[in-house]
This record gives sequence, structure tokens and C-alpha cells, in this order.
Amino acid sequence: MMRRLTVWATLAAAAWRIGAGMPQSPADDPSLPRLEAALSSAPDDLRAGNDYRMAIIRTGQYDRALAFFETLATEHPDAANAHLNYGFAYVDKIPTAGSISQVILANRALTEFSRALELRRSWIGYYTRGNSYLYWPKIFDRTRLGIADLEEALRMQQADEAHAYHVRTFIALGDGHWIMDEAEKAKAIWRAGLEQFPDNAALKTRLGATPSALKALINDTYDSSRRVDTNLEELWAR
Amino acid sequence: MKLAVAGGLVVAMTAFVAHHAPDGARPWFVDVTRAAGVERPHHNRQFDNPYAKIMAGYTALGASASVADYDGDGFEDIFVTDSSRDGRNHLYHNNGNFTFTDVAVSAGVAVGNDDRNASADSLWFDYDNDGRPDLLVVRFGRSQLFRNRGDGAFVDVTREAGLDRYMNAITAVAFDYDRDGFNDLFIGCYFPPVDVFHPDTPRFFPESFETANNGGGVVVFRNDGRGHFADVTDRVGLRTSGWTLDLGHADANNDGYDDLYVACDFGTDRFFVNNGDGTFTDRTREAIGFDTRKGMNVDWGDFDNDGLLDVFVTNITDDYMREGNFLWRNNGNLTFTDVARETGAYDTGWGWGARFFDYDNDGWLDLYVTNGWVSAGPESYVPDIFKLIIRPGVDLADARNWPPMGSKSLSGFQKKKLLHNEQGHAFIDQASRHGVDSTRDGRGVAVADFDNDGRLDMFVANANSSPYLYRNVMPAGPHWAAFVLEGTKSNRGAVGAQVRATTGGRTRLQFVDGGNGFAAQSSARVHFGLGASSRIDTLEVRWPSGLRQTFTSIAADKTLRLVEGERAPLPFAPAAVRR
Repeated sequence: MMRRLTVWATLAAAAWRIGAGMPQSPADDPSLPRLEAALSSAPDDLRAGNDYRMAIIRTGQYDRALAFFETLATEHPDAANAHLNYGFAYVDKIPTAGSISQVILANRALTEFSRALELRRSWIGYYTRGNSYLYWPKIFDRTRLGIADLEEALRMQQADEAHAYHVRTFIALGDGHWIMDEAEKAKAIWRAGLEQFPDNAALKTRLGATPSALKALINDTYDSSRRVDTNLEELWAR
Repeated sequence: MKLAVAGGLVVAMTAFVAHHAPDGARPWFVDVTRAAGVERPHHNRQFDNPYAKIMAGYTALGASASVADYDGDGFEDIFVTDSSRDGRNHLYHNNGNFTFTDVAVSAGVAVGNDDRNASADSLWFDYDNDGRPDLLVVRFGRSQLFRNRGDGAFVDVTREAGLDRYMNAITAVAFDYDRDGFNDLFIGCYFPPVDVFHPDTPRFFPESFETANNGGGVVVFRNDGRGHFADVTDRVGLRTSGWTLDLGHADANNDGYDDLYVACDFGTDRFFVNNGDGTFTDRTREAIGFDTRKGMNVDWGDFDNDGLLDVFVTNITDDYMREGNFLWRNNGNLTFTDVARETGAYDTGWGWGARFFDYDNDGWLDLYVTNGWVSAGPESYVPDIFKLIIRPGVDLADARNWPPMGSKSLSGFQKKKLLHNEQGHAFIDQASRHGVDSTRDGRGVAVADFDNDGRLDMFVANANSSPYLYRNVMPAGPHWAAFVLEGTKSNRGAVGAQVRATTGGRTRLQFVDGGNGFAAQSSARVHFGLGASSRIDTLEVRWPSGLRQTFTSIAADKTLRLVEGERAPLPFAPAAVRR
């Protein structure tokens, strides 16, 4: 799950409006039927699914997306990326839900991410599920699962050609170790990432932060009450 | 020029308060519970029915404390509830020297628990306008109304008052919603009116974690002024079905009629506007929006000194559930904006009772917040409840589907918060600094000046544990003023009266509330912290009757009586202290 500050800020403001009892923009997106049609004809198209979800977020029609992806995944059970986008659709709805519903949505997202990985092993699959596990409080014993997924994502990217987005694995894996009170392992991962991505600000910040600042940073990063940016467009950036 | 003068005063006041700020040495609160003789512990109710093991985890309630000077000797007394089947309630008479004597048995108010009733809260209110606070013991079962005879004893008048009804009541406030001069009774109920001691159905648990509408709701009893109450819930437009945990009243739009905030567990809080014609309108959507949180406490206070009363509501905030509290800043048009996150009032754990009060007399309302659900064994109940949550199609209303908590903990051992108000902009926790960060499972906090020294003390009721009585020993310096209000045309206790004190061009608003705050009732006296000001320039009183009175140049550092219609404040003379 990729964070982009500008998108997050916009959506956080939308979430705030909901909390304050003010109506969201009712504007519909006329592109939704077209995007749905495109996905129906290419259910495993990760990018088409991503475009559709971004349009959904703009209109706030999360239940429409969930219903659509449920149908899509049922009709195309072997389309790994349909399940992946289905999982993201659950994540997209989380900020609009109550605290208990958030847990249910997050759990359902994990189910879909796992199904996607069962169908096809992929870097994005392992990174996504691994990162999702980090949002769960330690009491649920899921951080260790997240570390395992992120380690697998790291192995896959090391065997692949280098991409800018691979830095995310270093950041998240280090964060996972830090959450598990394995500070030295966390720093080792972040340092390894910095060797490969020497200009990355997130890694520099983590390595330079005091323990208390790092705690605040990690808590803020994995604050489940805030919107997670699920826009995957970085995957196709040149 | 005026601006420059005002600026100078602000600087002077800031410097003065800073001089008396915490210096890292002595805490400003001292635990005097045992020395004061008020250490008797609360006991949770243990149920004896097929659902007992499940209910035990969800009924760790009933520890409460309510303050009033029931015998008119000038010292505030405390009524404290127990909840076990044989548990006695306590009426701690204030001896005037920071010791108390439990007189509940001789006063006739000790028996509040039995096989079919469990005490959950209490409320002092003068229902017959005789100048003596009467006592409502709020119960799961049938609540009790005790009339204060004035000779130290009370008589049970529940039946003749028309209040003998089964309700799983957990909170109550009393205010004069129709301004007829008599305080009416608003009772919040948690469970629906099922006999929770011997239920004939297993379906009496909340149907949803976020939008439950099968709770006990609110019941409104109008006081006819002749010692009798009539159920007017439907007539006034307050029929609700939430899992009510607390009620808070105040005049949100300064129109002279008190409005009502209803905090609900498992779902949506409600805000009702008093129409001034004996009815209320549900303005939840426009005022605060529909939430899905777990409202526990309501307290009203003007935390930013803008002349409008704001609302603080506790919710659940923990690693596994980050709801955050509400600090509803009053926009002045019957809408509110939640500023909890940006002011630092957001995360106080699994919140319970909370109270606005100015503990350091700097003129800004601080907050004390209790918290913690069940502090028991090392194992956590969170995974158990998680399994319940994710079960597809589970019938949550059926108690049998809920996992027993056993000896596990849930949001236990949480540290209480004393949130110091940084001039209306932010709150900073000073609980550890001042020795009030206990980890017992707090429920209610009652604030009063038990020794009449101008420094507000706290009594904290804890579930299944001993309470805390914290004496405020802040170094002398900041000035204060307190007022005991008495209505003549208005209700005798002046509940609903607003008082505005202006010093150095700055006006502060306080009001007489009729029992706001979960599991607690604080002093009905109006207390102002005045900081560096040794005199109140102007004191304006708006009585519930509508009468407005203005007094000028009132010396600080004393308690005075304000009687509706009297031309000047009267002296307040506590009885001689018994040694």
C-alpha cells in the first residue's frame, strides 16, 4: 500500500467531513460504467482495477466497488489481480467505517490478498499483504506474518530488475522489525535499503530519528484510523 | 491603547500563572483516601443466571460518587455506591476537617442492592424545592428516590413519587426543561428493560457494535411540583433506544433552555435541542453527525472561554480500537466541531467519567479523565472478541454468542489523565506530575472543594476497587471565587443558571449543572479560577426563570451565596468544624 501525501490529505479531509456530519460530494463519476466494463473484459488487469478504485474513492461509492469486485472475483476465480483489487477495495472503505467495521474490512482484505497469492506469487502480492499485517496491533500476532511476507517480497525484488518502488519493501520490513522490538534488525534493513536508494527520505528519517521520534513516526504510519493510499500507479511510472 | 493595556494584562497573568506552575517538586494532589475514611471498596455485581459468566465482563459498572451538602452545614458530602448483592452504599458525611463519617445506615440510604437490584449511579436533586438535596439511587432494577427530611435521615418516596418502575438505569440528570420551577428527571438506561438478574430471554445484548438500537434509551419524568413524576418521554420527543451510558444537559445556544446530549455505547450519540415549548428536537445530524463510537461520558464546559458551552465525550482509544474522544467545540449555531485530535484530548484510553474543572485556578477549564475497563489477568480478551466480531452472520443480541471474559483483561491498568488546559488551545497531561495517574478501573470523578479552601478536590470511584480522594494542595497564589446559588422563582437549586464573571476584560462562563458526568455528580457550586485577579469586575447571573442580575466589584478568594432576586451576594457561613 503506497502512501502519497497529497492524496492522503484530500481523503483525510473527506473522512473528517463525514465525522463532522457534513455530506460528502454526491458527484457521480460517469467513467465508472466504462471502467467496470473494461475490468469485466480483463478481470486480471491490475491497472484497470486500480483506475476503477481511484474513481470509486473520488465518488465515495465503496459499496458499489465491493459489490462489483465480489461479482468479478466470483465469475473469474482464477484472476489473481481481481482478488488483489478486491482486497484493496476493502482497504479503501476502512476510513469511512466505524472502528469495529474497520477490523472486519481489514480482515476481509487480508482474505482476498491471500487468495491472490495462492493464485499467483508476486512482489506486489507479498508486499501488499505484508504491509497490511503491520497495521494490526501486536496483540493479534500478525506482525511476524508481515515480516515473513516482506522478506519474500525482498527476495523477489532482488532477483528482479531494480525498480524505484522496491524501496518500500526496505521501509516496511524495517518497520516490522521495529514494531517487534527488534531495533537492530530494523536499522540493518533500513541501512541496506539506503545503500540501494541513497536519496530516500523515509529511510534517512528512520535512521536519524531518536527512539521517541521513531515511535511517533511508526505509530503515525500505521495508524489504522487514517486512510491508506492504495494507488498503485507507481508500479507503472517510468 | 486599550489593546496595549489588554495585552499587558495577558502578559502579567501569564507570568503570574507561570510563577505558580509545577516546579517538579511537590504534586498538587495528595491521596488522602484512607486518612479521610472513605476507602471502602466497590464490588461488581456477580450474576446468578445462565449468562452470568458472559455478563460479568460487561457489567463491571456501578462505582459512582455524587456530591452535595445534604445537611446544609457548608461542607460537601459524598454518596458512594456499591453494586454487589449485599453491598451497602455509603453516605460520607463531611466532618469539615477532611475526614468523613459513613452515616448511610442511620440516614436510611445504605440499602441499595439486593437480589433484583444493583446500584449503578446516584443523583442529588431537590425535587420538592425545600432547599434540601434529595437522593436518587440509580439502579439496574428499580431506582430509589429518598426524600431528605432535614434531620439527617431520608425516607423512601419512590412509589408515591411515581418512579417505581423496572429500568436498567445507569445515569441520571435533573434539570427544569420546561422552566416551571421544578427539576425534572432524565434517566439513561443501558440494557433494555429486561430483568437482567433473571432474564427470560438470551437476546438482551447489543445487536451491533456500532449502531445498536435495542438498548434502554432515555426515560423522562416531569416533576409536577407536588411530589409526583409522570413519564413524558414520548410527549417531549426523547424516545430513544440506544445503549445510554451518560446524559449531559446545558444551554448550548444561550436561549435560556437547556439542551441534552445523550452518549451511547455501541453506537450513535444524540443531541436534542430544547424547543422552549416543553419539547425537544433531535438535531444529531446537523449538530454532530452520526457516529459509531462508544460514548461513555458527557460533560459540558466552556474550555476556550468564548462564552459558549462545549462538550467532552469519552470513547474507546486503544491499540486495537482507535476511536478517539470527542471534544465538541460549540460553533454557536447549534452545530459542533470535534477538536479532540488537534487539542490533545483525543486519546485517554478506554474512557469513562471525565470532568471539566479548573484545578489550578488559572481561569481555564482542565479535564480529569478516568479510564480502564477490566484489569485482571495477564491474558488479553481482545483476541476473543475479535473472533466474535469476524464471525459471519453472528447474532450479537444473543448473549450466548459472546465469549466469557473469565480472568482476562481488556484495556486494563490504564493511567488516568489530568489534562491541563493551555489557554484553550491544547491539553497537556499532568496526571503523573500531580500523582493522580492511578491504574485502577476508574468510572466516575466528582469534583468539589471539600475543605472550602478554594482549591478543587477530586473523588474518583473505581470499579471493584477502592476509590481515591485527592486533596488539592496547590501552593497558594491564584485567586478564585465560588458561589452557591439559590433560586426563588427558579428551581431552588438553580440548576441551569449561568454565571459570567468578568475580570480584566475577560469573561468566563460557568453554570449550575444537574449531575453531568458518568457515574458521578460534582458540586453544584459555581467555581471560578481567577488567576492574578483579586476581584471580579462584573458578575452576571442568568437564572433559569429568565431573571438577569449583575453584581460588580466582588472580592475574590471567598464563597458567597447568590439568592435569586437579592440585591447583593450574601455571606456563606459553613458550620463550625467538628473535631
